[in-house]
Amino acid sequence: MSQSLKQPNRLHEGGRIDRSHTLSFTFNGTRYQGHAGDTLASALLSNGVDIVNRSFKYSRPRGIVAAGAEEPNALVQLGSSEAAQVPNVRATQQALFEGLTAQSTNGWPNVQRDAMSLIGKLGGRFMPPGFYYKTFMAPASMWMTYEKYIRKGAGLGRSPMERDPDHYDHLHQHCDLLVIGAGPAGLMAGLTAARSGARVILCDEQEEMGGSLLDSRELLDHQPAYRWAERVIDELGRLDNVTLLPRTTANGYHDHHFVTLHERRTEHLGETAPLVDGVRPARSRMHRVRAGQVLLATGAHERPLVYGNNDVPGNLIAGAVSTYIRRYGVVPGEKLVLSTTNDHGYRAALDWIDAGREVVAIVDARRNPDGDLVAEARARGIRIIDGAAVLEARGEKRVSGARVAAIDVAAFKVAGQAETLACDTIASSGGYSPVIHLASHTGARPSWDDELLGFVPSLVKGVHAAGSARGVHGLAEGLADGTAKACEALAALGKSADAIALPQVDARYESTACALYQVPHEKPTLRAPKQFVDLQNDVTAAAIELATREGFESIEHVKRYTAMGFGTDQGKLGNINGMAIAARCLGKSIPEVGTTVFRPNYTPVTFGAIAGRHCRELFEPKRYTALHQWHVEHGAEFEDVGQWKRPWYFPQVRPQVRPDATNGERESMAEAVARECLAVREKVGILDASTLGKIDIQGPDAREFLGRIYTNKWAKLAVGRARYGLMCKDDGMLMDDGTTSCLAENHFLMTTTTGGAAGVMEWLELWHQTEWPELDVTFTSVTDHWATMTVTGPEARKLLAEITDIDLDRDAFQFMDWRQGKVAGVPVRVFRISFTGELAYEINVQANYAMHVWKTLFEHGDKYGLTPYGTETMHVLRAEKGFIIAGQDTDGSVTPEDLGMQWAVGYDKPFPWVGKRALSRSDTRRVDRKQLVGLKPKDPKVVLKEGAQIVLDPDHAIPMPMVGHVTSSYYSPTLESGFALAVVKGGHSRMGETVYLPMADGKTHAAEIVSTIFVDPKGARQNV
Amino acid sequence: MSEQTASWFNVYNVRPETEVPTESPLAWSCHHSGRPSVSEKSRVVLRERAMLGHLILRGGAIMLDEAVREVLGFGLPGRPNTLTRDESGERSIQWLSPDEWLVIVPGGEEFDLEGKLREALGDAHDSSDNHYAIVNVSGGQTLLELEGECARELLMKSTPYDVHPDAFPVGKGVTTIFAKASLILRRPTEDRWELVLRRSFADYLYRWILDAGREYAIGVDA
Repeated sequence: MSQSLKQPNRLHEGGRIDRSHTLSFTFNGTRYQGHAGDTLASALLSNGVDIVNRSFKYSRPRGIVAAGAEEPNALVQLGSSEAAQVPNVRATQQALFEGLTAQSTNGWPNVQRDAMSLIGKLGGRFMPPGFYYKTFMAPASMWMTYEKYIRKGAGLGRSPMERDPDHYDHLHQHCDLLVIGAGPAGLMAGLTAARSGARVILCDEQEEMGGSLLDSRELLDHQPAYRWAERVIDELGRLDNVTLLPRTTANGYHDHHFVTLHERRTEHLGETAPLVDGVRPARSRMHRVRAGQVLLATGAHERPLVYGNNDVPGNLIAGAVSTYIRRYGVVPGEKLVLSTTNDHGYRAALDWIDAGREVVAIVDARRNPDGDLVAEARARGIRIIDGAAVLEARGEKRVSGARVAAIDVAAFKVAGQAETLACDTIASSGGYSPVIHLASHTGARPSWDDELLGFVPSLVKGVHAAGSARGVHGLAEGLADGTAKACEALAALGKSADAIALPQVDARYESTACALYQVPHEKPTLRAPKQFVDLQNDVTAAAIELATREGFESIEHVKRYTAMGFGTDQGKLGNINGMAIAARCLGKSIPEVGTTVFRPNYTPVTFGAIAGRHCRELFEPKRYTALHQWHVEHGAEFEDVGQWKRPWYFPQVRPQVRPDATNGERESMAEAVARECLAVREKVGILDASTLGKIDIQGPDAREFLGRIYTNKWAKLAVGRARYGLMCKDDGMLMDDGTTSCLAENHFLMTTTTGGAAGVMEWLELWHQTEWPELDVTFTSVTDHWATMTVTGPEARKLLAEITDIDLDRDAFQFMDWRQGKVAGVPVRVFRISFTGELAYEINVQANYAMHVWKTLFEHGDKYGLTPYGTETMHVLRAEKGFIIAGQDTDGSVTPEDLGMQWAVGYDKPFPWVGKRALSRSDTRRVDRKQLVGLKPKDPKVVLKEGAQIVLDPDHAIPMPMVGHVTSSYYSPTLESGFALAVVKGGHSRMGETVYLPMADGKTHAAEIVSTIFVDPKGARQNV
Repeated sequence: MSEQTASWFNVYNVRPETEVPTESPLAWSCHHSGRPSVSEKSRVVLRERAMLGHLILRGGAIMLDEAVREVLGFGLPGRPNTLTRDESGERSIQWLSPDEWLVIVPGGEEFDLEGKLREALGDAHDSSDNHYAIVNVSGGQTLLELEGECARELLMKSTPYDVHPDAFPVGKGVTTIFAKASLILRRPTEDRWELVLRRSFADYLYRWILDAGREYAIGVDA
């Protein structure tokens, strides 16, 4: 690793850095030094590092252009270890810390000698605009190949391959006023609102609040402007009603003043969050702010001028030059040429000369500019060339000169002989564009202001803009605007605030700016040296001109064809220039061409911050039953049913079963399920059915309501009895099923499917609240209150009898009866409901006592062969009986009659229940609807694939007419055969026919259409 | 409760008369995720108030208010999203929706309370204006208390609801989103927040709270 300990461009004094605190960092393998308070960019400039990257498309060497979020070139990959990798960090926004390690995102083998640059030099011809899209088509099949190389060549950083050691979180915030940006307008607005007592959040994306005040040449109250900013920030920091968020970017403005703020909490301290008191704080935090009103004080971005080779390192925007000198004590060169269209740009030259370096000339596009700053420059003896501009930069890896000539702005042509000025730095200023990105996120289209030469934000209700963000650029005016707009915003909330006294500012006369975007060249644009508009996406003026010639007239199309404003850049530096060039080429005005839409995020946000704590074990709620611990301790494999974790099967550890097997081998799923199935059919099994939805229904009209919401009849269900019911949507299609028990005359307990519980609850409320509010009935979810365990199998009665006081006599407690009494000393309700076809008791116990009851059953269960079983066995057993599962055997297009369940539909009920009308439509009465049938594979070893398509003629030419599909399919240890449920067109009248199931592997299975009931067709076993 | 009422509704004491082992909704979580101890560094302290009696009341406010005053000695909260408590603070009633309240009482009182309320409300079996419902949901939910200087910030990490004292004064209670689940959030006293959560979501919420509280050295009070 090479080392560079000098900082040739560092000034001996000035700036807001701490020279006594030196930090080392590594960039592209070389060690450098900087100071506390530096950004990576300012430290690189202070070390004289010119080339920080290679460009996206042409692989040209690139240097630092800006000092803030708008930096297009200095994108770096951070991280010294694999886990700490962060792509696409703007060096201008990354605070320097000890040990920082960064690399250019582009450039192979390195930025100094780049293999791609040869292609880049030829590239004009090989990579015209639309190049990317053209690769889609020539031929289309090659795209996958092209993409690999384009991605490698383009390179936008890479993701870490290891687990992130950091954690992230979200914080929900609420406030009266959210002020975005803590420059002069934002600080004034924040102070105004804060002093009124309103709840205020003030955020700013930079390391330090203060914005332009931190590098201003102007005085506030006769002191440097930053002093005033420090005082205001100190006052705000001491107020309870104010939340100050530095290093926090408002990255997205969503509906209803919901704004996401991305706070980088530890990125300035190290590449991973350092421990504080033994605890690792969240690395970054997403503040999810619901604001009463929002004030945008986001400032403005300076526009660079578009001239030839304006991308060579050493070309900067003028304001960035001032920022580096005044804020960081870094002069990014020796000899400066400034090309400007306005007075503000002059500050760069004055700051440069103040720093003791040479200003070769100021080239001003205006004739006879006469503002105060111009006069100051003249008085300092700087050469001013008026009515002229820099036509092109000279040099390859660093600016070596500037070709300057008089220009005719109106005629877009060079008006004089060019002169070449030797220099190493060219600063340019084409004016200021308000930062309208956030306002644009609301969907409001900005409007062009001819006087300001910029788009100003259109504001939806509740959004305000102040200062430069709406084109009020002067310092005094911006401060006044901040306080005025804060008062307006608070007034909109019905709160009053007093405008606060402004600090004293010297008035300054400014001469009018000139509208220049692209500088003319002696050669036509298409043949002139590359004039870059969007540096990050390598979009040139020529590309935009070509796009317009190829017929792209809408600015949105030009954007997509050229990639202007894409990516992390979002058009911060280039968009307005690009639109101006498109307008020139199309012979239209800028407002006629319009602007593209800016989208969130303003600057990139890490996935960590977006996910917050919603990751890993907390990604999704896991719902557990009261018996979960037992299941875990007994080796259950779990299945996700909605958010529930249900035991799927309980593989047992086997004794040695084969000579070659190791002891302690666990059963396979098939083995476990077969064992569990036989246990239920031959002895007794137990299932945790707590996840079934349970709804307590009370009221004099409960019975009437059930009759309207279910397809079958409820009028005569006696107290002590339960009934199976089907629920349809109003389209007549089955939505859910379950049993409902009559607990007392006005009191019922409904059960739903596990997945359907919440939906059914809403469904009941919907019909009650909107259609039948006159019915006196209420619904309360008791799903979590009751734990449910199903004891089922021929031995169930004997087992239960040991620990209950309920009379289990077959006549006293019949199938579809329920009784209450004690089991294991705990009051319970027991329901003789069977989903297995065997004798079954479903025990409902208050969940806090469930584990005791469950364990007591096992204490008594051994001698009966009590076997816990999971959802897979439950599925096999119910399918053997032809019991459907709503959502598996149905898909929202299946009626009760399609299922062969006419017996559960009461057409003669007095009130027209939900779904009745739809079931009398001709379509629902068609005889060739897909109907539920059983399928018995001809080869008993075959277990058909669920979802497999069914055809009648396997020799039919492809595409074969498909007549249905398999909905449930299992191996039945009872039948010693595979079996399935399926829906088949007209299936009910096809009993005994053979159908075919062609599989993806070329095999075709044959199966016979049979009844859906495979085991115990008469239902004798559940009635014992 | 009259015999008549008993035939209209099935009112059932689901608490065993004899001592049997019980498990609160957090039993598995404490076993599985542990219980970080409370230290002087703990800026948030979590405590489960397990095994309380939880009843849902449904019906008209005026009718229920009278019955509740008669039986409990204090009335329903007068405004939406608020709660009332008795002097001991052990019994509370919270507004949940225009015809729905949550009553929380010391464990074991709920069955007796349900009977007395039904007695006071009379036989509401005909289709008239005095329909009401009372549902015991004690096994389905549990109550957690959060205290400590960072309790509010922990809530801000978890719920989109505004928990600033101006927006969430003492006596307020809401049903809201918490992480990716929902729960009832209430503030019975100046320094204490209560979360009423559903049994099946308890583990997820417990793990969430421990995770979000780690930076405040959260401790769980046994």
